[in-house]
Amino acid sequence: MSRLREYKPSPLATLPKTLDPNEYYNLSPEYRRAEEERTALRSQMKRQYQMQLNNPYRKELIEDPALTRWLHARNIVYPHFRPSTKSSLMGVAFGVLPLVVLYFVLKTDRDKRDSKIDAGTYKRPFKLSS
Amino acid sequence: MAAFRAGLLTPALTKGKSASISTIIRGARAASGSSKDGLPGPYPKTPEERAAAAKKYNMRPEDYQPYPDDGWGSGDYPMLPDRSQHERDPYYRWDHPDLRRNWGEPMHYHFDMYIRNRVDTSPTPLDWRTMRLWLFGFLGITMFMFGMGEVLPCYQPVAAKQYPYNNLYLERGGDPEKEPEPVKNYEI
Repeated sequence: MSRLREYKPSPLATLPKTLDPNEYYNLSPEYRRAEEERTALRSQMKRQYQMQLNNPYRKELIEDPALTRWLHARNIVYPHFRPSTKSSLMGVAFGVLPLVVLYFVLKTDRDKRDSKIDAGTYKRPFKLSS
Repeated sequence: MAAFRAGLLTPALTKGKSASISTIIRGARAASGSSKDGLPGPYPKTPEERAAAAKKYNMRPEDYQPYPDDGWGSGDYPMLPDRSQHERDPYYRWDHPDLRRNWGEPMHYHFDMYIRNRVDTSPTPLDWRTMRLWLFGFLGITMFMFGMGEVLPCYQPVAAKQYPYNNLYLERGGDPEKEPEPVKNYEI
């Protein structure tokens, strides 16, 4: 089908493995050796997990260090935080700017309404009592 | 592990007198599971640090790529490809089948976004550009046609409704004594 030939991946839609040219043309030994090394690491971790899982004397939960590291990285951000240009700009854009903009917008809107009420020209919207 | 902890506490408790708080606390701290070395650290600058970090995260040193050091606070956490868990093989025997993840595998920084209930990055039947074109093309043409329908309406010619009995004089609250003016709705 011509649509599959023209398929272009995008950030939220990846290329299917069957359309990946690397699978068919990249037969270099380095690529294959890398895959083998990854498989070796994966098998070691699988073995560790199975040993702990099937241990009849185990009474506690199996602790996952990768999970601990992920939680630590997500929550404890301050020690490695550095006020660089990007982080300061983000802090200003998301922390300071909304408050300032909101203040000015609401203030001008309210001042306009107040002046109209003082002048007597304010038309109340959704007025239920006629 | 519990026996180890008890073994450490016994010298503190059998010291003769009642054990002080410091000895009990010191004894209790020695029995720990994982160490602090396994936690994420600062951004790796030298190749040795990178290799050590790759080993810590159970990755190949060639695969290990930390987030760029722009002060954001990620430290040496690896930058894995932005692939959702939807894409992983459903028929492989994962250790955690609902998360499609093995024990000890490095987790993506945004792992909770890429679980199977949330963001899906798997391949689509058509590519994004075609889908975008079809969707917005259809919506655009529909909106254009509706707009043209408002500007240039097209319907059967119709006149104002004509009512009998002098345009419903009595029904509309007319005076029954007074004679209404005759309303002629035809032309001959």
